Amino acid sequence: MPFQSIFVISEKKESLYELCFGARKLSDQVTAVIFGDRTAAENVADCGAKCVLYCPTESCIPEDYCKAIASEVKKSPCALVLLNNSVRSRCIAGKLGAYLDTAVITCASEIVADNGDIVCKRTVYGGAAISSQAFTGSYGVITVGNGIFGDIDAKYPVTEKIEQISEKPECTVKIIARNEKKSGGTNLAAAKRIVDVGRGLASEEDLDMCNQLASLLDAEVGCSRPVAENNKWMPISNYIGLTGTTVKPDLLFALGVSGQVQHIAGINKSKVIVAINKDKNAPIFKNADFGIVGDIYKIVPALIKKLS
Amino acid sequence: MKIIVCCKIVPDEQEIGVLPSKELDLSKASWKISQYDLNAIEAAKKLSSETSGFLTALSVGRSSALEGTKIRKDILSRGPEELALVIDDTHMFSDSLETAKAIAAALKSTDGFDVVLCGTGSGDLYSQEVGIQVGALLDIPTVNNVTDIRPNGNILEVERTLEDGIEVLEVTLPAVLSVTSDINVPSVPAMKEIMRAGKKPVHVLEVPLTDALPSINNLSQQVPDQQERRMIIIEGDDEEAVESLYQFLKKEIL
Ligand SMILES: Cc1cc2nc3c(=O)[nH]c(=O)nc-3n(C[C@H](O)[C@H](O)[C@H](O)COP(=O)(O)OP(=O)(O)OC[C@H]3O[C@@H](n4cnc5c(N)ncnc54)[C@H](O)[C@@H]3O)c2cc1C
Ligand SMILES: Nc1ncnc2c1ncn2[C@@H]1O[C@H](COP(=O)(O)O)[C@@H](O)[C@H]1O
Repeated sequence: MPFQSIFVISEKKESLYELCFGARKLSDQVTAVIFGDRTAAENVADCGAKCVLYCPTESCIPEDYCKAIASEVKKSPCALVLLNNSVRSRCIAGKLGAYLDTAVITCASEIVADNGDIVCKRTVYGGAAISSQAFTGSYGVITVGNGIFGDIDAKYPVTEKIEQISEKPECTVKIIARNEKKSGGTNLAAAKRIVDVGRGLASEEDLDMCNQLASLLDAEVGCSRPVAENNKWMPISNYIGLTGTTVKPDLLFALGVSGQVQHIAGINKSKVIVAINKDKNAPIFKNADFGIVGDIYKIVPALIKKLS
Repeated sequence: MKIIVCCKIVPDEQEIGVLPSKELDLSKASWKISQYDLNAIEAAKKLSSETSGFLTALSVGRSSALEGTKIRKDILSRGPEELALVIDDTHMFSDSLETAKAIAAALKSTDGFDVVLCGTGSGDLYSQEVGIQVGALLDIPTVNNVTDIRPNGNILEVERTLEDGIEVLEVTLPAVLSVTSDINVPSVPAMKEIMRAGKKPVHVLEVPLTDALPSINNLSQQVPDQQERRMIIIEGDDEEAVESLYQFLKKEIL
């Protein structure tokens, strides 16, 4: 199914420009949908879209516009909807999909036009396989993985066509409070060296030892998903893997990481992987350049001594 | 409060093999409860006890996944009082809407519910969309990435964590909530619960799935190329091992 028309929906300016840039590679008929007032829409008039639709949100949340947006999309006989892969965007994507009678392709790692079809790639089975998928109906909804369209190297004319979305929002949940959260965390994606901490670490205080090793190696510290999620020893943004950050350092030093498929999916691009794990059957060793079967509590302090 | 928790039965990812054609070999993988649905079950169990509720588990899938008594008992030992199943071998349930339509049909066939809980994402597809699409299909409130649920009469106060903030939302019932995988730490079923699980009812629902059609065509599935690794592995944590690690690091990066 060729999609002549593409809707880009974004709550953030940066991802709007990125998605519009990607959308323009697939079609000239791009409509941007943003959340905010007319001024906010005018501020992004050069994003590459033919038309910018704005959805005022003083008294509601973006999700409340899903039915209104679906009505706009349905004005095209067939259309593709692109969103970034944030929590809120996934909520909007799922609802829109239901109203447009389509599934969502979540976190696409590639979107290309192939013989008039739009073909997406996404990772399945925890990173064990990459699936190529295409929509079968008249509409498709995709959330787009980070940075898949590359650097924006085009400039687009400012569009005159700025309109308020025609239908009213429909409030289904009431927002009673909103707190900003410091995003914090380190930029692991760009780090050259990483100490990668797994659940082999017995207590939070022992992070000191890992931090010390990291500073001697001039490395950043990342972790596995359960270290961030279950133990809450590091911010969520610091965990590495399929559903976390993908890293590509020169050196990744895994301490007490078992090396499950979902974690490997995030460290695969490292140039050199060093691992310490006391279980010689841990899958991390199949993915390591150099490994020691042993106790991190013996090896790391001894190594720190040698390095300092 | 009537609570329904959706859990998916998936192949164990550690047991998935690779065929010479670079396609996945699922034939040797055993079935398990999708990892992050354990958090949904735990959250549902908590909500049920806080509201003197009744908890039902619901799973949709093919007979190969859902016929086994072991997996059924595993679900029931974790808190639900009963298990409802939609078993259908004419569907692949490989896209979010197809599955959501089957779940919505199953929910319509029950005699009502107050809250449906889903996990953050399924272990095999991880589309993170099924719960939201169920809510939208049924036209009831739905929230994703829920990190706390506080019952308050016949509404729920729900905390939702976004990348850059936290929202507190008031949700009227019935509703569908998808919880995060860090909302709790799932408990290990006690022996008593494991014994009791075998006596709990399992209902195989007869629901029409005629409109649960796939909207995504899976063109191909390929195992990505693995990076070659040297795999120099030494055993032991003595001085000698540390020295060779030090020498390796020195040669590579220092
Ligand atoms: C859909 C889905 C997505 C997921 N996404 C991610 C993801 O993006 N990132 C991620 O990390 N995980 C992810 N996971 C979780 C993943 O499956 C594993 O559970 C997780 O990676 C395991 O983390 P770990 O290696 O730290 O812990 P474990 O698997 O518990 O391993 C701990 C290791 O430490 C070793 N050890 C213990 N003590 C010592 C010691 N003293 N010295 C040396 N070694 C020791 C043990 O031998 C063991 O191998 C995902 C799971 C699912 C279902
Ligand atoms: N076949 C299924 N049966 C029951 N629940 C499911 C099924 N598929 C998905 N779910 C629920 O929807 C959530 C999100 O799944 P997904 O959108 O596939 O990532 C899961 O965590 C489950 O709670």
